[in-house]
Amino acid sequence: MIDLKTRIDRFSDQQRMIQESAASFFSDAGNYKRIRERRGIAPGYDQSVWKAMADLGWLGFWLPEKYDGMGLGFAEASLLLEQGGRALAPEPLISAALMAGGAILHGDNEGLKAECLPRLMAGDWKPALAWQEAESSQQTESSSVTAVAQSGGFALTGSKYFIPAAEGADAFVVAARTPSGTALFLVDKGSAGTVIETHPRVDGGFFGTLKLAGVRVSASRCVASPGMGRAVLDRVLDEGRLAASAELLGVMSRALEISVAYIRQREQFGRPIGSFQALQHRAVDLFILVELSRSVLAHGAAVFDASPDPARRAVAASQAKARCSDAALKVAKGCVQLHGGIGYTDECDIGLFLKKSMVLATWLGSAAHHRRRYGELVAEAV
Amino acid sequence: MDEQAFRLEVRQWIKENFPEEWRFPPHRLSLRQTETWQRKLYEKGWSAPNWPKEYGGMGLTAYQQISFQQAFDAHGINIAPNMAVTMLGPLLIRYGTEAQKQYYLPRILSGEIRWCQGYSEPGAGSDLAGLRTSAVLQGDHFIVNGQKIWTSYAHEADMIFMLVRTDKEAKKQEGISFLLGDMKAPGITIRRIKNLTGSSEFCEVFFDNVKIPKENIVGQLNQGWTMAKSLLGSERITIGSPRVAKYPLQLLGKLAKERGLMENPEFRAQYDALRLDVADLDATFVRFAEVLRRGEELGPEVSLLKIWITETYQRVTDLMIEITGEAAVLDEMLVLADGAQVHPANHYFASRPASIYGGTNEIQRNILAKAILELPG
Repeated sequence: MIDLKTRIDRFSDQQRMIQESAASFFSDAGNYKRIRERRGIAPGYDQSVWKAMADLGWLGFWLPEKYDGMGLGFAEASLLLEQGGRALAPEPLISAALMAGGAILHGDNEGLKAECLPRLMAGDWKPALAWQEAESSQQTESSSVTAVAQSGGFALTGSKYFIPAAEGADAFVVAARTPSGTALFLVDKGSAGTVIETHPRVDGGFFGTLKLAGVRVSASRCVASPGMGRAVLDRVLDEGRLAASAELLGVMSRALEISVAYIRQREQFGRPIGSFQALQHRAVDLFILVELSRSVLAHGAAVFDASPDPARRAVAASQAKARCSDAALKVAKGCVQLHGGIGYTDECDIGLFLKKSMVLATWLGSAAHHRRRYGELVAEAV
Repeated sequence: MDEQAFRLEVRQWIKENFPEEWRFPPHRLSLRQTETWQRKLYEKGWSAPNWPKEYGGMGLTAYQQISFQQAFDAHGINIAPNMAVTMLGPLLIRYGTEAQKQYYLPRILSGEIRWCQGYSEPGAGSDLAGLRTSAVLQGDHFIVNGQKIWTSYAHEADMIFMLVRTDKEAKKQEGISFLLGDMKAPGITIRRIKNLTGSSEFCEVFFDNVKIPKENIVGQLNQGWTMAKSLLGSERITIGSPRVAKYPLQLLGKLAKERGLMENPEFRAQYDALRLDVADLDATFVRFAEVLRRGEELGPEVSLLKIWITETYQRVTDLMIEITGEAAVLDEMLVLADGAQVHPANHYFASRPASIYGGTNEIQRNILAKAILELPG
């Protein structure tokens, strides 16, 4: 099939370079065999691939140049993440680097930035973002996890759920309620009073639960001061939503390519099944969803690159996450159908795409959640 | 002028100049009905947003055209598209002779000549290249015989731009030419067709030995199909414009608000999904329009815009009917608090041909399957 992106979109030299190097990196990092081999094995990703990403500077793709990051705009970052999505790469580029790292960057603790960001970029240290307190909740004002002031610090109590790459994280950026609002704290792995539970996911990765029972954190480990935690979380969550949308785009576009190639060669009734109009029209409908997603993502990236205004970013993030989540699931399910019986087997790669879509589509808010949020944020023009 | 300032100017000017009684009309208005308004647009220099400035257009980028159009939609302006501006003009600019450009382009802009489009025939719908209306060159004239159908506003038109068969022996795509005919010429009969809404925008046009001067051919003899296809390309981007669904979506919003449904979670979920279906098409349209702005061609991929927006439009009118209940089947106008008039059933009807005209959505899917997905025939 013709790659519409190549045909109609135009990229800068830098964007082309990123796209090409990412495409070649992920094909070198292994095919879907690598993904299969990692399934169900903690931490759910490849430390060696993570290190290789660090060597390319990618772990700091989102970091400004003053921290020696690549300082990429979202237009560029999306291209990188899209390639990761195509490869179904399980490395926590979004959750650990962009989001947990981003929380440190956007917080107000300069000491922690100096200490953590270089190590994160080097691939030697990984944070995980522990913010979610309930299933299906995108609430960023902490309520059930509390931070009580103690001499020289705080004591954290409560549970955080659905933490990607919790296994393998060296520390957690934990959101907790204080009397003056939500604050973020850095809690080292293995701190007294912490328990990590890991839950296997359908895609072979894991979500972690972090249980905190009066965990002592010194004031110097406060990532974002009481009252500013929520704004920092909102920012990195919306960035994560846009980034996850880029991965979803990669997942769905690759799934469709594989499926179109399959129906071109699979024969029944003495003809390729891709010659049947019923399948052609189904494939076209999936193609339309992929292209809508690509457009929405490009629009979202442009909004993010134009302005740090949280209100505008929230709209763009929800618009992208709503479409990409919905489209990826529809495309992946449609692709299973295009494959027929073989699509239901574990040996066929297409199922990997369905499972990855499910994980990314529900993470950081489902399509329905983001349609609702969009509806609340954007006044109707009536 | 920066975009924001221009947008404000447009809104202000529309507000000051558009007749209040024509806002949110129950039926789409025709060009003839709105002649005074067309004149004002022309005097303002705003007749042809899509044409280059050197031909009297506004030379707007595709992105600017969208925001320009938005101002009209938001004001409740619903006038039939001017096919001569959207389709014929760009074609003449590209393929016309100097004389044709000098004569016709200014008259398209001023509205002095009103046009209709003669493509489809009773036997040539989806299979447009199978058209049979013939034009035979005799001396200085083509003699045209045959029949066109679905010719919107033929009864109001001064001229017709049409596809005719000029070589019966050639392969069907290779024997077609593009002519400009006078609708007042002897031998032309127009019959209006009543549609499901009860109005008659559509016509049949019969040609019985109609003489068309031979200089009225655009491009070369038997090259009409290539040009028509390039025209169909630009038609598809026009009929794939987000505005197709924006106006009905706005009416749906008004209806819902009046019925207190904005706080109803079930309605809201459907309504917000539709708003996003339109907003996402906006983003796609901008991406496609950018190709045109660079001066490049759009190919078969524009079909996806048409499929998406027309089917979104139909989902909007489905919901309009749904929330209006029994009142939806009354053949009466609902008058809303702000004076807007809505006839939900007519919108429901009017959204039917959207997935049929300009190549049915099934044909568009065939095009995408073959030309983009490269699936076997």
